[in-house]
Amino acid sequence: MLLLQLLINGLQLGAIYALTAVGFSLIFGATKIFHVAHGAAFTIAAYLFWWTNAVLGLSWLLAAALAVAAAVAFGLCMERCVYRPIQRHEGAFFTVFIAAFGVQIIVQNLIGTVFGRGFVSVTTPLSHSIQVLPGLFVAPVAALAIVVAVIGFSALTNYLSRTHTGMAMRALSENPDLIRVFGLDPGRVAQYAFAIGSAIVVPGAIFTAMTAGLNPAVGAHVMLISLAATIVGGIGSLRGAAYGGLLLGLAENLALWRLDPQWSEAVTFVVLFLFIIFRPAGFFGRPHAAK
Amino acid sequence: MRRLRFLALLAAIQWGAAAASAQDSIKIGADLPMSGPNAEYGELFGAAANLAVEHANADKMLSKKLSIQFEDSQATPQQGVVAMNKLVNVEKVPFVLSAFTGVSKAIAPVGDRAKVVSVNGGGIGPDLAELGEYFWNVIPLVNLEIRVMAPYLVQERGFKKIALIYVDDPAGEAIQKELKENVPKAGGQMVAELQVPRNAQQFTSIAAKVREASPDLVFIASFGAQQAQIVKQLRDNGVTQQLASYSAFSSPTVTQLPEAKGALFPTQSVNWQAAGMSERVAKDWKAKTGKEPNAYVANYYNAVMVFVHLAQALEKSGQPITGENLLKERKANGSFDLVGGKMEFLPNGSVSMPIQINEIDGGAGKMVKGGTMAK
Amino acid sequence: MWAYIINLAVLISINAILAITLNFILGYAGIFSIAHALFFGVGAYTATFFAMKFAAGFLSATAAGMALAALISLALALPALRVRGEYFVAASLGLQMLAVTVFTEWKSVTGGIGGLTNIPPARLFGFAVTQPEHFLLLSLACLALIILVIRALVRSSFGRSLKAIRDDETAAWAYGKNVAVIKTTAVVVSSALAAVAGSLYAFYLSFINVESFVLDTSIQVMAMVIIGGTATLLGPVIGSVLILLLPAGLSYLPYLPVTEIGSIQQIIYGGAMVLLMIYRPGGLWGFQDTPPSRKGGAT
Repeated sequence: MLLLQLLINGLQLGAIYALTAVGFSLIFGATKIFHVAHGAAFTIAAYLFWWTNAVLGLSWLLAAALAVAAAVAFGLCMERCVYRPIQRHEGAFFTVFIAAFGVQIIVQNLIGTVFGRGFVSVTTPLSHSIQVLPGLFVAPVAALAIVVAVIGFSALTNYLSRTHTGMAMRALSENPDLIRVFGLDPGRVAQYAFAIGSAIVVPGAIFTAMTAGLNPAVGAHVMLISLAATIVGGIGSLRGAAYGGLLLGLAENLALWRLDPQWSEAVTFVVLFLFIIFRPAGFFGRPHAAK
Repeated sequence: MRRLRFLALLAAIQWGAAAASAQDSIKIGADLPMSGPNAEYGELFGAAANLAVEHANADKMLSKKLSIQFEDSQATPQQGVVAMNKLVNVEKVPFVLSAFTGVSKAIAPVGDRAKVVSVNGGGIGPDLAELGEYFWNVIPLVNLEIRVMAPYLVQERGFKKIALIYVDDPAGEAIQKELKENVPKAGGQMVAELQVPRNAQQFTSIAAKVREASPDLVFIASFGAQQAQIVKQLRDNGVTQQLASYSAFSSPTVTQLPEAKGALFPTQSVNWQAAGMSERVAKDWKAKTGKEPNAYVANYYNAVMVFVHLAQALEKSGQPITGENLLKERKANGSFDLVGGKMEFLPNGSVSMPIQINEIDGGAGKMVKGGTMAK
Repeated sequence: MWAYIINLAVLISINAILAITLNFILGYAGIFSIAHALFFGVGAYTATFFAMKFAAGFLSATAAGMALAALISLALALPALRVRGEYFVAASLGLQMLAVTVFTEWKSVTGGIGGLTNIPPARLFGFAVTQPEHFLLLSLACLALIILVIRALVRSSFGRSLKAIRDDETAAWAYGKNVAVIKTTAVVVSSALAAVAGSLYAFYLSFINVESFVLDTSIQVMAMVIIGGTATLLGPVIGSVLILLLPAGLSYLPYLPVTEIGSIQQIIYGGAMVLLMIYRPGGLWGFQDTPPSRKGGAT
């Protein structure tokens, strides 16, 4: 029964990682920008939700909407104010990466200054688990997280394959100039990618606020795992990022079956390292992606 | 060139400040977490220390005004050492307030070399008694707490099977060691010992492992925000057993947590109603913060008062207030009337005090077992 | 007051060593590693181990640290040979996080979070370096030596090959350069020299613990390199001076709350990183010998 419980816990955690990883992968796949500040979107959304819901007392629906608005605004701002000027000059991977890193440091510290560095959480009856089977406890919020992840992911896949902007996003990574030929503006499409990619982290952020609680470093932590998930799943594949996130969430929890908790995080990074050495393309990535 | 001028300007400012302050006040130092996840402790300890400074100045206990120079340890050993270096080398204080087992262990050699006294009022690792002559403790260390808790929990309350969740750092490990030794001695059994990393936030799977071990009681050895998270997630995930911890549970983040209701924890015996010092501190603290004081408040108030009493004695005999002299004076006369009663220093610089056991009740906690001396 | 300035100067020189050695692979070879703190740690722990168990002097303790760091750096060189750009960053990230777990858990050797205290002072030719002024001389001497070594390497044909690989690996390879050997050598040299900083750090503070060797440290060293200027000799030194003077300088501003100084320092260098990347990617001191324009990324 312990094993089954760990599995369920892993799925819940994996759902959150998967959502964030998919957002990151979407942005990277469409714009080729290694948006390490993605974790900052997570932190901003989470804290805004907590503040408007737990502190100001607004309804969770309104709080969630505000969180989405904030995350999207952040993503768009990053694209417009940071990445675009850099890409105008030379846009080397290095430059973009460092700039994103700088933003992530700024956001983390600003949030710490404004909201405090301690741990905060949103109290809700949803986090209280119910004994589904003897020895098996599932919290409503966990089930919700998994459901939302599945819905979110299928909605996204539909959008990408059925709508024009969606298809343009997929095309953007291959050939930006061809987009212009079709009358679309690459800048516009990039903005959509950032908007959607940033918005999709919000459910994960809200669930984290309700279960484990928040501190300013929470975004950085989730970002690291999502990065690992994207690579393990395969850069350029959204499906890979989702599965990668799930896999890492499961690994982190299942490792507890036999290992001490300190090693469970190490397991994630060993997996990442091995993948990069032996199969940098990940599960679903295109094999030429390495060099 | 610009940078050199900037450096020179910095030096001038600091020189000026140091020179000015040297004349008109007596300064002691405090190496406490002012930022970072444990800043709440730094705030608490600092406020208690400042209250003592206020009282000392109001009662004109020393020839000059007393003041505290606060430096930020962030509750990490490395930052603690950097801050200690500043206090010892730049501010040249003879006496420093310290906190947290890990930080204290790191700064003790610095104080030892410079002959500066450090006093700990919050950390509880038993190693803190072995850090040299210049390191003192005004808080009973955790071995004393566990020696009172273990028999109480196992024998008086009947919790025979105990599961332990402990943080991966010197404080957590010290508690694990003490429990492993004292629980079997009292007739109980440790059914699980789960170590968690210091920055861990997810405990749902730890809860699962706890449930699997079927304990009568869960003992939590963590601190700061993490211990509150552990309590909440344990309760959220089907762990209904009795909870217990060490003195860290007196922190407001835990006492105010609804999920922590009923948890048992020890603190040193402090009778806040006792006439005189204790009553005055309780009253002023309530007026300032709106809350009831707890054992930590007593400790840091006392730590400053120890300095004041020693410094008073030194001034009376015409000796300069240096770390060396403070140590000599304490060895000659190591007994003080402080909050909580008479405090006597043992030769190794730590104190032995009666331990009381409390239960979280949504307020400041109610005492369920009066002060007992650890055997 | 002098004690304080000497203290700061020692820390600056130790960090400058880290920045210079990171710059060697980051700026000159285009290898973006965020695992540098790992080698800092290996150097520190090894030197401490040899000093405490075998009463080793400074030179032998440091040499042991360098040897171990060189060996471990092969683990970093491996992904460097196979992938570039974001993949390599991720691999170095994995290595760094794994190292932190090992440092925290291998308590018998590293002391875990409690760390190792009471490290004996460095002994050089029978002379114990206990005075801070003497230690400053020691650390400055090490810094100067390392600058000379790096300078010699950069100006040699090795250095030219390194830059060629950074600018266009395929072309360099087509030209007959043994890319694998050159890259591995660069990583090994960089890591071994970073271990010297670790040894100095351990002997200076007489106390080390895992918290000095975490991801944030790697990031801070990278910030020093970026802000100071990549692919220059003086840039990393300037970067380390600036970043280390920041908290000291900030703490003297009376109207800043003490609790926020750490955050403000990080916000400042985070902001500096962003602004520099937009307006001056070569860093404050960098000239146009900057990393290549590869529009896009790995694919």
